[in-house]
Amino acid sequence: MTATAPTVGHPKRPHRLIAAARRDPLLTIGLCIVALSIFLALFGTLIAPKSPTEPTGAPSEHPSLSHWMGTDASGLDVFSQVISAPRTDVVLAVSAALVSSVLGTLIGLTAGYFRTWWAEVVMRISDVLQAFPVFILGMMLVALSGRNTGNLIVALSLLYTPIFIRLTRAEVLTQRNRSYVESARAMGNSEWKIAFRHVLPNSLAPSLIQLSVTVGFGILLTAGLSYVGAGVRPPTPEWGLMISSSANQLILGEWWPSVFPGLAISFTVFGFAAVGNAIERRVGG
Amino acid sequence: MTRFVARRLVIAVVQVAAITIAVFLLIRALPADPVATRVGFNASPDVYRKAKADLGLDRSTLSQLGTYLGGSGTERGLLAGNLGTSWASGSTVASEIGDALPITLELISLSFLLAGAIAIPLGMRTARRPGKALDKAVFGYGLFAGAAPEFWWGLMLVFVFYFKLGWAPAPLGRLSPQLQAPTQRTGAILIDSLLAGRLDAFWDGLRHLILPVVTLAFVLSGPIMKMVRQSMTRVLGSDFVLYAQAAGLPPRQVSRSTLRAAFGPVLTLTSILYGFMLGGAVLVESVFSLGGLGQYSVKSVLEFNYPSIQGVVLVITVLSLVIYLVLDVLLALLDPRARHR
Repeated sequence: MTATAPTVGHPKRPHRLIAAARRDPLLTIGLCIVALSIFLALFGTLIAPKSPTEPTGAPSEHPSLSHWMGTDASGLDVFSQVISAPRTDVVLAVSAALVSSVLGTLIGLTAGYFRTWWAEVVMRISDVLQAFPVFILGMMLVALSGRNTGNLIVALSLLYTPIFIRLTRAEVLTQRNRSYVESARAMGNSEWKIAFRHVLPNSLAPSLIQLSVTVGFGILLTAGLSYVGAGVRPPTPEWGLMISSSANQLILGEWWPSVFPGLAISFTVFGFAAVGNAIERRVGG
Repeated sequence: MTRFVARRLVIAVVQVAAITIAVFLLIRALPADPVATRVGFNASPDVYRKAKADLGLDRSTLSQLGTYLGGSGTERGLLAGNLGTSWASGSTVASEIGDALPITLELISLSFLLAGAIAIPLGMRTARRPGKALDKAVFGYGLFAGAAPEFWWGLMLVFVFYFKLGWAPAPLGRLSPQLQAPTQRTGAILIDSLLAGRLDAFWDGLRHLILPVVTLAFVLSGPIMKMVRQSMTRVLGSDFVLYAQAAGLPPRQVSRSTLRAAFGPVLTLTSILYGFMLGGAVLVESVFSLGGLGQYSVKSVLEFNYPSIQGVVLVITVLSLVIYLVLDVLLALLDPRARHR
């Protein structure tokens, strides 16, 4: 890079960013939410004004200046819990989405490109996995192997890998007949090299679109599992668990301990879905 | 057509067999200890061993699988139609599922009716006028309805309509406690109360169903609407619509025929969602304490009740496959091209 390049390019950059944001407000909102949720996943427990796991006020206090979102029935500060929860929810969902997309893409690539017995076995196994009732399978995997974060990530990854296998394989099947594959073959490349160097980069689009959406699914499933008592254990700050433990208070009119975590889930999932939607429009159009 | 159905049936049977065996092995491969949860963690080794033998867990997994499928002694196995006995209650898994299943079917069928009634007209309208305010509103709604957890929507509805307004009954079951339940025939409260001529139970049951049905319909109508819009847009751009319009057919007639052509993908999505909801309605069932199949499966899993878990998974799988099979036949009838795929 020459020394002049940055000075030429620089003044335009913020301008372009704003223009892009104006063109695609949905993407901008989505990216902001995603950035915020990742920030909170990393630093949420550090910047929480009060302890998220120990009582810091009287039980069932209304939202006030000292407790912005009130306290729950055991006196825990709702705001601190809400911003500490991404450490569990977002980390879990993002890890599971990454694991399943990498695994699923690689397996889908090999199953689509090398049409051998391996492809048959892979597809039949993912058929069986996909025919399972998702929620019950997730619940089973977590509850029977121990309710902790590690097992949740394994369970979620297992649930979502078949989707990526299927998407990638379908894309690979159309790509493998393209002429660039034939040219690569004619140049004397090995089949493995063609698969990983040429077909793989061209088959990533469906998985990329799915990745963001899967994070959202993962957050919803994590919260749902906690809600029925098959997710992480209290007192881990987790949105689903917060809603679940305050559901009985809600009927008595205490709305704040369950409304705020629900809003947090909705905004986070919405953010990831919006980003996925934007990627889909970019790649599709 | 017969060959088509026969082939699908064979695949379905193989799938059911695979899932039955997979779930059986999977449960036993996971490190849960159902014996300890029953006798307690401080039980003496003798008690523990006896309990383990009672559950049949002292034998090898393959021998357990053999008993589960083929039965032993006087007890019939799965192949003879016996789902086994619940470890928690001692009654048969089949009878427990028989009680829970109609509750779920009633709940989700009504939800799908409501979701369809909302989603199909809106989806059609937005497909005809893309980019208009309604289209944008509907798009935003789809994103947001899918983003919020359904149990949270349920709770919010309870807060507003039960606590604030007092219009809805407390979310504590299918009937008010002071009402006597109608004689159980189908297990679906609305049908049973009509069959028994109990209008009071019918209204009460309906009142208890409104919020859970609205919750589910709210979540379901998002994806259905999106699919209606998508496939309507595709069909509206096709040659036959252009031809029909050019030939001067009235718009009403044109949209009727597009609806039929656009119906395939919508039907597919709906039936996949229906199969999914058999186990996926669990969160809404929990919020409103309805006690359907989902809640039964939660209970079974948390109690490490292996026969019940196996039974629930099997029943849901079979039902979903039956739905898919019926769907495939319907699609093949609607569109001859589908038979050769």
